[in-house]
Amino acid sequence: MPSALRGELESLLRDRKLDRTLTTNAWADVVRDVAPTGLEILDEQLGGGIARGHLSEIVGPRSSGRTTVLCRMFQAAADRGEAIALIDSCDRFDPVSASAGGVDLTKLLWVRERGDGCRALKAMNLVLQAGGFGLVAFDIADVSPMMLRQFPYTTWMRIARVIEGSQTAAVVIAAERTARSPGGVTIALEPALDAPRAQWSGAADRARFLRGIELRTRVVGGR
Amino acid sequence: MRIPTYDDLTPSIPDITPRETFDEVAKFLSPADPPPKVRPASFVPDSLELYACLRHGLKTVAPPSPMAAPHTSPHFLIARDFSPRIERHGDASVVLDVSGLGRLLGTPHTIGTELARAADGYAATVRTAIARSQTAARLLAIGHPGLTIADGDATAAIASLPIDTLRVFIEDDVAGGGAAMARLKATMDRVDTFRRWGLTTLGEIAALPSMELSERMGQDGLALQQLARGIDRAPLVPDPGVPRFLQSMELEWPIDALEPLSFVFARLLEPLSSALERADRGAAALRLDLRLVDRTTHTRVLQLPAAMRDAKVLRTLLLLDLESHPPSAAIDVVAIEIDPVPGRIVQYSLLERALPSPETLATLTARLGALVGDSRCGSPVLLDTWRPDGCEMTRFTPDHSRPSLRVSQSEGRLAEAAEPRRRTGTLILRRFRPPIAVRVTSDRGRPGQVAIDRRGMPGGRVERAAGPWRTSGAWWDPSSGAWDRDEWDVALSDGSICRLFFDRINECWFLEGILD
Repeated sequence: MPSALRGELESLLRDRKLDRTLTTNAWADVVRDVAPTGLEILDEQLGGGIARGHLSEIVGPRSSGRTTVLCRMFQAAADRGEAIALIDSCDRFDPVSASAGGVDLTKLLWVRERGDGCRALKAMNLVLQAGGFGLVAFDIADVSPMMLRQFPYTTWMRIARVIEGSQTAAVVIAAERTARSPGGVTIALEPALDAPRAQWSGAADRARFLRGIELRTRVVGGR
Repeated sequence: MRIPTYDDLTPSIPDITPRETFDEVAKFLSPADPPPKVRPASFVPDSLELYACLRHGLKTVAPPSPMAAPHTSPHFLIARDFSPRIERHGDASVVLDVSGLGRLLGTPHTIGTELARAADGYAATVRTAIARSQTAARLLAIGHPGLTIADGDATAAIASLPIDTLRVFIEDDVAGGGAAMARLKATMDRVDTFRRWGLTTLGEIAALPSMELSERMGQDGLALQQLARGIDRAPLVPDPGVPRFLQSMELEWPIDALEPLSFVFARLLEPLSSALERADRGAAALRLDLRLVDRTTHTRVLQLPAAMRDAKVLRTLLLLDLESHPPSAAIDVVAIEIDPVPGRIVQYSLLERALPSPETLATLTARLGALVGDSRCGSPVLLDTWRPDGCEMTRFTPDHSRPSLRVSQSEGRLAEAAEPRRRTGTLILRRFRPPIAVRVTSDRGRPGQVAIDRRGMPGGRVERAAGPWRTSGAWWDPSSGAWDRDEWDVALSDGSICRLFFDRINECWFLEGILD
């Protein structure tokens, strides 16, 4: 009897195209279309890259490498000839360092908002509905938690529905876990507590260079 | 170890004087670069296209009499006898599309001869030029008297023309008026810059590497180089006087809201769209005239990024534009006119991922512009400056045919010389606009403790620091925002890695951004 009820419930969910929320589903066998991130180690963890048609997220504290990972994803997408978009909620993106980091700016649609998360969310929705982008990023890392709480609960579900089945991979950049669709992943960048994250070269201040930071990633979710 | 000075941090940019030759300029602008194989993004004409330009033969053109009819000049009448697709550029020159005259008249030389004969019939002194692009035809008509035929490569045909030809070319457009007049005048000043560099012909401008030119002169420099290469910046927009795509409606009751106006737009645009489809044309520009109840006219002109004729898209673009620029009173009469161009032919690829279509992008950017502001969405373009955050926004037009800027920007002069840190390419800055004032306890100039009076901002003891890196600029023109500062990359005790700078002009510390 329980199995019959379960079967009926799954049938209803499929009718409403909500079957991706099921844990035991045949679609898991379907070959996933993924967008490689351009970072080999991360791609190995992700099984090739982040899933297209799904909402994923990159989360971590300040200086954990969130923006660097995002720019590597931009670079990889632009190299594949895809259009990319960044909805920048607090106008934090720096084209100079991104270009030096390898991002082809001609492929980038940059939407700059001055801290109004709701308006940025509308812009995100417009870009996703337009379609045709390979990668769309929504940077809310510096949006205040109070503003984020103003988003309706259904916001992320609606965004997930907009891109479902499309070739677009959507990524949210945030300080804390915020949202991802059932097929999406959370890339958590963690601080290295046992060693200095920043890698410097040179002894004296005037001869010292900041060479990079150590990325420690943990992937959560994804099927 | 001495502190790096400004001169250490900047590359040796030569001061170019008029005495220096083109070779020296070209040497500075990396002569090893081969000429670009891919044509810069702009309107790319069909190779079978052929244009003629008829230009008034006199060097100075008298201003038109107020009593004179607008289209009675001899060169305009001659042009109208030969083609329905005519575009005027000021009072001096007319460009006509003669692509289809080959079957009727024969070779380009024959067409040119016929045009010259027609000019004799009007007893007019007219310079005639025929070329594969409008720009080349216009430049040849300016540069050469009599009849000039350039049936081959447009760039080669105009390479020997003097640089002043460009100035006359722009003056014609300035005389034509329009909203872009101020922009054109600014572009004209750039011609003087080329002369100061020692360039004398259009061929020398065409040979400059585009990337470096863009970094030094911005979009204006690229626009002038495209002209010097004979590349059209826009398709031919037929002049009024030829068949027009115009619809208007007088309303029974004034309309003062966008929603009812959208139904009126739909009623006007659908027949226009059908007419465009029948004529195999697309809209290059939309002109909307709204006569208001206060007897004024609210006019909006939309330049479309690609030829399009979908009534729904055009209606959406008009409504979004009116949302940003609403009329001052209720509307009595609505008139829409379309500048037609030949229909767009698109070849899709099975091997490349589809990009957003021009219609989609036009609608999207219009919607985003209405939401966040026109200047706050688009593609970033780096400027040739050491100023922090030196970039500007440009229209977003992704194109498969464009060469990738990544390699040249990451390995080119700009990235190499900007800052040693950027060469690592591993860390991206999250920039605060404007920079945030911070309280820094420093020991002999080295930051020791950082505190910010804002919630959620980094702060703490400085555990590791690199710097100072001194930059300064615009001291010769303080009105443009001079800067003089020492930059530091610091790791704070709270785990943040930040970029601080000490403003040497105002003697205070700022947080420029967080390296993330």
